[in-house]
Amino acid sequence: MEVITLLKPRFWSFKNVGFLKKINAGFFLFAGIGLIFLGGIFAVSYRILIYFQQVEDIGDILAYKLLSMTLLIFFSLLIFSSILTSLSKLYLSKDLALVHTMPVCSEKIFLARWIESTLDSSWMVIVYAIPVFVAYGIVYNAGFFFYTDIVLVLALLCIIASALSSLIILPVVFVLPASRIRSIFVFLGLAVLIILYITFRLLRPERLVNPETFSSLLVYLQNLGAPSSPLLPSTWAFDSLKAALSGDIKSALFHVALSLSCAAFLIFINLLVARAVYFKGFSKTQASISRLFQTQSKGFDRLFSFLSGPARAFVSKEIKTFWRDQTQWSQIFLIAALIIIYVYNFSVLPLDKAPIKTVYLQNLFSFLNMALAAFVLTAVTARFSFPSVSMEGSSFWIVRSSPISIRAFLWIKFFIYLFPFLILSEILIVVTNLLLDVFPFMMYLSVITIFFLTPGVVAMGIGLGAAYPDFASENPAQSVTSFGGLVFMIMSAIYIGVVTILEAGPVYMIFMAGLRGHSLSCFQWIWVIGSFSTAFVLSILAIVLPMRFGEKRLSFLK
Amino acid sequence: MNLSVSSGEIFGFIGPNGAGKTTTIQMMAGLLNPTEGSVIIDGIDMAAQPEKAKKKIGLIPDRPFLYEKLTGMEFLRFTADLYNIEQESFLEKTENLLNMFSIFDHAHELIESYSHGMKQRLIMSAVLLHDPPLIVVDEPMVGLDPRGAKMVRNLFCSLAEKGTTIFMSTHTLRLAEDVCSRIGIINKGILIATGTITDLKHAAHVGEANLEEVFFQLTEGES
Repeated sequence: MEVITLLKPRFWSFKNVGFLKKINAGFFLFAGIGLIFLGGIFAVSYRILIYFQQVEDIGDILAYKLLSMTLLIFFSLLIFSSILTSLSKLYLSKDLALVHTMPVCSEKIFLARWIESTLDSSWMVIVYAIPVFVAYGIVYNAGFFFYTDIVLVLALLCIIASALSSLIILPVVFVLPASRIRSIFVFLGLAVLIILYITFRLLRPERLVNPETFSSLLVYLQNLGAPSSPLLPSTWAFDSLKAALSGDIKSALFHVALSLSCAAFLIFINLLVARAVYFKGFSKTQASISRLFQTQSKGFDRLFSFLSGPARAFVSKEIKTFWRDQTQWSQIFLIAALIIIYVYNFSVLPLDKAPIKTVYLQNLFSFLNMALAAFVLTAVTARFSFPSVSMEGSSFWIVRSSPISIRAFLWIKFFIYLFPFLILSEILIVVTNLLLDVFPFMMYLSVITIFFLTPGVVAMGIGLGAAYPDFASENPAQSVTSFGGLVFMIMSAIYIGVVTILEAGPVYMIFMAGLRGHSLSCFQWIWVIGSFSTAFVLSILAIVLPMRFGEKRLSFLK
Repeated sequence: MNLSVSSGEIFGFIGPNGAGKTTTIQMMAGLLNPTEGSVIIDGIDMAAQPEKAKKKIGLIPDRPFLYEKLTGMEFLRFTADLYNIEQESFLEKTENLLNMFSIFDHAHELIESYSHGMKQRLIMSAVLLHDPPLIVVDEPMVGLDPRGAKMVRNLFCSLAEKGTTIFMSTHTLRLAEDVCSRIGIINKGILIATGTITDLKHAAHVGEANLEEVFFQLTEGES
């Protein structure tokens, strides 16, 4: 009963915020994008399964192997997501101090929090998993029982993952402070994912289409039939779904029962461990934060002595805060991996085997690369400069009460992010162009285009981040997933797209004229000048308008 | 509301919860735009010249939200840069202020490791760095230990003697009674009484009662 009481504030808060009140333009936009995404997952899964069905002999093996792999990936994601969520819910949430003052025993608090954590960490994985399983149901003409089985299997998989995660967390909090564990897990989790991806990329799976590597494909096919470990909960889920697909209800229920008994056992163990250590761990987390930094930074401050006082104040504050916040490190790590993969992909492009003339293809890639590099820049901006105003958090009163205007504050932020991002994107474009061995004209064009695109994208990040700030968020880096973040991504994509389209025609004319040794006609010159001038004006507007919009919204923020 | 506070005055601003004290302070400090009317600081209109007006103010909020990843010293450096304080003067003032507020030994530690009281002391040090002619303070004693509270009380009195204006919102009526030269009582967004303690006693018809009784008498009739 007390556990239900402890869960009520969450339910009431949800009710008070009101589902119906949230229905506005932003809601429909998000819902639309979400549905398109779900539809996409279903379409891709359906298409793959239909393709597998057409492959003689090994079609079903491939489909079942895919199902087994999907379940294993979901299970891993659930464990990772549960570790992060349960750390927050069990040890770091702000309301825990209040909850622990109530006359309720600690394992009941644990149980209530664990239920919340399980729901929070698994709902999204389930939502994205369902289209994949529905595709299986349709392709294999499964009956009603299969769809019931999906719900049972996924619910139990979530409970097991969450119970395993809390069993990991409970003793570890004894050794390390909870706040640091979260950073470590984010860091390790990202590292594992990135290493896996890079390894996968470096294996160059595209070579598998090459008949020369057929012998290794045979070895691969032999492995396809090998069963997964019978001790893994994802294997029980797979066995149950596989049985349900073929109509074997008895076997499906047997594997569901296996999962159920495991889940019940893990919850029981969790309660025992929680009774012994949960409150002690929570108490330890509340102890004062260790003093990590004993820094003297006179030399660092001298670096920016040429700036005006307020500008120096914010540059220095921004850089120090950034490097001392461990949650930012994982972001840098992720972006670094993205850039390495991006550059690596250019180094392995099989241009020499292409049927189109290489010189043309190289320069075409270089042109498209401008837009791609700008999209990489958008991702970096979304992660770092868009949340930078929200990062001020509860300390924003310092900015509001200080003798600098919101306009100056935003422009200082703009320049703080512009210079590193400009250097990064120019390096990116020059290195990839060198790998492509493009004409000097394309090199100059790329460098100049990126030089004008970068300020526009950064200004959109700062301006729209200021227009839609979230000062209350515990993790402002996630503000990019908000409505404002979505507006930024869409606006930035439109801006990059329009500039690319504006440049495409003139660049093609100039490039082809150079190749054929012709000169441009008067009309072509007008077109070239008109297009580039429009792109230039657009770039200026992309800087000024979002910054003004952000300034206006932030100035009148209550 | 129509209120003016003279130079060198310690003005106490009291009222029940939700009366509008913090809102008034936020408008004075330029954190909130008034829907109508104006805030004039030392002859400067806050709406027309906010940066110039803010240079005249030092704000001490009730909740000390600071940049947790900076050290105390770095936060003071940050403030000094915002107000364009010279390096020599900064070093001298910082040392004095940190010693005065007993946080000198913690100056190079991250603010996230500070207690509530230490953060409050740090904000006060930062506010005094640029010698503002007006200090606006919301609940000055929250989080301070008795020694700190006494020191702040004496500090306000000595600053007022030197001509600094202190606008102080508080629920500690004893403090208001002891240090304020004038007191304003606000209820439901309306300034219901202003004046010295004697003026307020007259207004409340309570004879020789203390400020607490005056407060109850005046706000009871309104609520």
